[in-house]
Amino acid sequence: MTIGLTLENKKRMSISNEIVDFSDPSKVYIPLINNNVLCKSLVKKGKKVKKGTIIGIRQDIDFPILSSVSGIVLDEDSCLYLNNKMVPCIVIKNDKKDSVVKKEIKKDISDYTKDEYIEVLKDCAVTGMGGSDFPAFIKYKGDLDILIVNAVECEPYLTSDLMLTKLKAEIILDTIEAIMKINNISKCFIAYKEDNKTIYYSLLRLIKNYDNIFITPVKNIYPIGWERYLVSNILKLEYNKYPNEIGVVVNNISTIFAIYKALKFKRSITKRIITISGEGFSNPINVLVKVGTKMDYVLNKLGDYTYNDNLNIIAGGPMMGVALKDDSVVATNNLNGLIVLPKEDDTIVDCIKCGKCIKVCPSNILPVFIMNTLDNKSKLKKFNPELCCECGLCSYVCPSKINVREYVKHAIKEVK
Amino acid sequence: MEFETNVGPYIKSDNSTQKMMIRLLISLSIIVCFVVFKNIIMGYYYSTESFVSLLNPIYMILTGVVVSYLSEYLYNAIILKTGFKRAFTNTNKSYPTITGLLLSLLLPVNTPIWIVALGAFVANVFGKMIFGGFGKNIFNPALIGYMFVALLFSSKLGGYLNAYELDAVGGVTPLANLVNNGYISSYNVLVGSYGSLFNFFVGTIPGSMGTVSKLLILIAYIYLTITKTIKWRISVAYILTAFLLTLAIGINYNLGIWYPLFNILSGGLLFGAVFNSTDPVTSPITSNGQIFYGIALGVMTILLRFLTPYTDGVVISILFMNVFVFFFDKIGIKLHDNIKKKYIPILISVIILVLSYFLIINNIKEDRKTTFDILNKINSEILTYKI
Repeated sequence: MTIGLTLENKKRMSISNEIVDFSDPSKVYIPLINNNVLCKSLVKKGKKVKKGTIIGIRQDIDFPILSSVSGIVLDEDSCLYLNNKMVPCIVIKNDKKDSVVKKEIKKDISDYTKDEYIEVLKDCAVTGMGGSDFPAFIKYKGDLDILIVNAVECEPYLTSDLMLTKLKAEIILDTIEAIMKINNISKCFIAYKEDNKTIYYSLLRLIKNYDNIFITPVKNIYPIGWERYLVSNILKLEYNKYPNEIGVVVNNISTIFAIYKALKFKRSITKRIITISGEGFSNPINVLVKVGTKMDYVLNKLGDYTYNDNLNIIAGGPMMGVALKDDSVVATNNLNGLIVLPKEDDTIVDCIKCGKCIKVCPSNILPVFIMNTLDNKSKLKKFNPELCCECGLCSYVCPSKINVREYVKHAIKEVK
Repeated sequence: MEFETNVGPYIKSDNSTQKMMIRLLISLSIIVCFVVFKNIIMGYYYSTESFVSLLNPIYMILTGVVVSYLSEYLYNAIILKTGFKRAFTNTNKSYPTITGLLLSLLLPVNTPIWIVALGAFVANVFGKMIFGGFGKNIFNPALIGYMFVALLFSSKLGGYLNAYELDAVGGVTPLANLVNNGYISSYNVLVGSYGSLFNFFVGTIPGSMGTVSKLLILIAYIYLTITKTIKWRISVAYILTAFLLTLAIGINYNLGIWYPLFNILSGGLLFGAVFNSTDPVTSPITSNGQIFYGIALGVMTILLRFLTPYTDGVVISILFMNVFVFFFDKIGIKLHDNIKKKYIPILISVIILVLSYFLIINNIKEDRKTTFDILNKINSEILTYKI
């Protein structure tokens, strides 16, 4: 069954042959947050750090936050994170020497036991780079049989995964093979959207060298990149909370590249590709930035805003992303794009009960009924609002332009 | 640089309520064109009436639209005290013109204008604004207006025949003719008096202004379904149920396939099924609820036709079922959670269909018996008189 909608993908705007390199900032701001949990700082003002020095820690799972440059800790401050909130951060002055914390390096990236592998993923702070910032090592616990590499990038405008695949196809495939060997995984599916031929061709010329890795087209619908939906679409399997219950692990293709860095150099990812795009920006393109760079500098260097004041600058894709109050957002592992869009002034009218939000909902819940029973808690529970994946299709499709998702989000809070 | 933020998603579909209503207006304007063609252009061509005297349908439609708009505007401005400027924007957001158009198309050709005006006023004020306006009304506003004038001014509604239509069966519509003939009769009596089933399909028979051309209603239905404007399931379930029930009745009396077709193509069934029952605000939201809503409408319409003096039954059925929309949505929600339980409402629907079938058959028998008795009595009286 295909629930969801085909959206105009607008990816062509930012696809080009070059990636503009901004990976040498003078200062970086590293937010002390992981997967929406605040972390504790471990460094003091004036301390010298190297690339890879642990500067913070998430205490509940003992997960490190690493420095992305070498230099001196200037201050503890707060910065704008991609969820549009100010988050405490550590400011480091970049000495541009790129000195690295020395670690023992293995020659062969597949020469790890499973326990070592999980340890490495944790030490190198590998997190989900598709937007979740979820620590990747948790996903690999337990017996695994199938790896799904998510190269779907189903939000419109975003092309950072696509560019990475185009540039690093061979490394990615090698890493997948290593992951499969280490975790005893029998099959890997690289899922891409069927109309995204760039990913297909960049993998196709190499794929014959790898057994048991398959490039799998998925339908051009949003939100097929949602983990649960992707698993049910490719494997026709359902799971309760995490896919490793059924022996499946799903990783974003950028995360695979981060795993490569971890296995090869025992280093965390310090740079990432970010898509700058949207009708409100004069020069849509992909940029390579250091983790911790303030993006206003990058945006100013690249181009101008085209509709002066009436703009939304969105961290992430236009469907699930968050509009920022300021363009000085900090580039993090999970920031895959900044989309600048002119604001649409839709007049909201009353619900006409057309039922379109029910038809598109990939979580198979009943948004309009949830919206209408917000004041009745016991009744609300029956509609299971907590199953919502916040894809935003209900708001997208509503002819009365009601922000249905906000009501459902509110309902989730009510139920909890 | 700082920005004012709002909540996402930041792209929206280009569909809007306004566009849906415009599509509805487009499909209704096809029917308005037919009304003008049939009653004015053809009327001028075939009858000796002067052109100006044939313009009543246009006056009716204009009155319906203008009075609807004005009554809602004034309700906003005077009773809700929104101020005249706000009243204007509010009225534009709730599309009263469609109500007025739907109402005037439901009325017979020769209806006096003041009745249309009254109906449009009642439709918008008591059918819609009293409930809190567009999106909050329980009943289909146009049908409330129609019901009001049809109940209070039935004798003043005006004839169904236009300037050139021949008075074949005493100025009655095919469905009134059906009742007069005790529900069961031959093709020649029921259909033949008006031409053929083709006339029924195209719309060259006497009837309410907009409801006669089934061909154009079907075209409008296809257009509205493709553009995802209406809840198409309701129409299909409605028409199919009515068809099956009358088919069964027809088979019982050895009547051909023409009998169910005649029942479907007469009266306001198709118009009601496509335009009135699918009104988004007053119909179930869940798709399963829509199907069972349609089935209930079909059963009730046919029951009203065959068991009560109401000849059409469409308007009353829709208004009656409007009250139970919440119930059909409840069914829809239950099935949404557990589709395997679908057999329960299906079973109930089948039982209701079978029961209604026997009820109707039984009623027709009694009806025929009484007419037969009366005929016998008359015959014998005539005979005795002769002697």
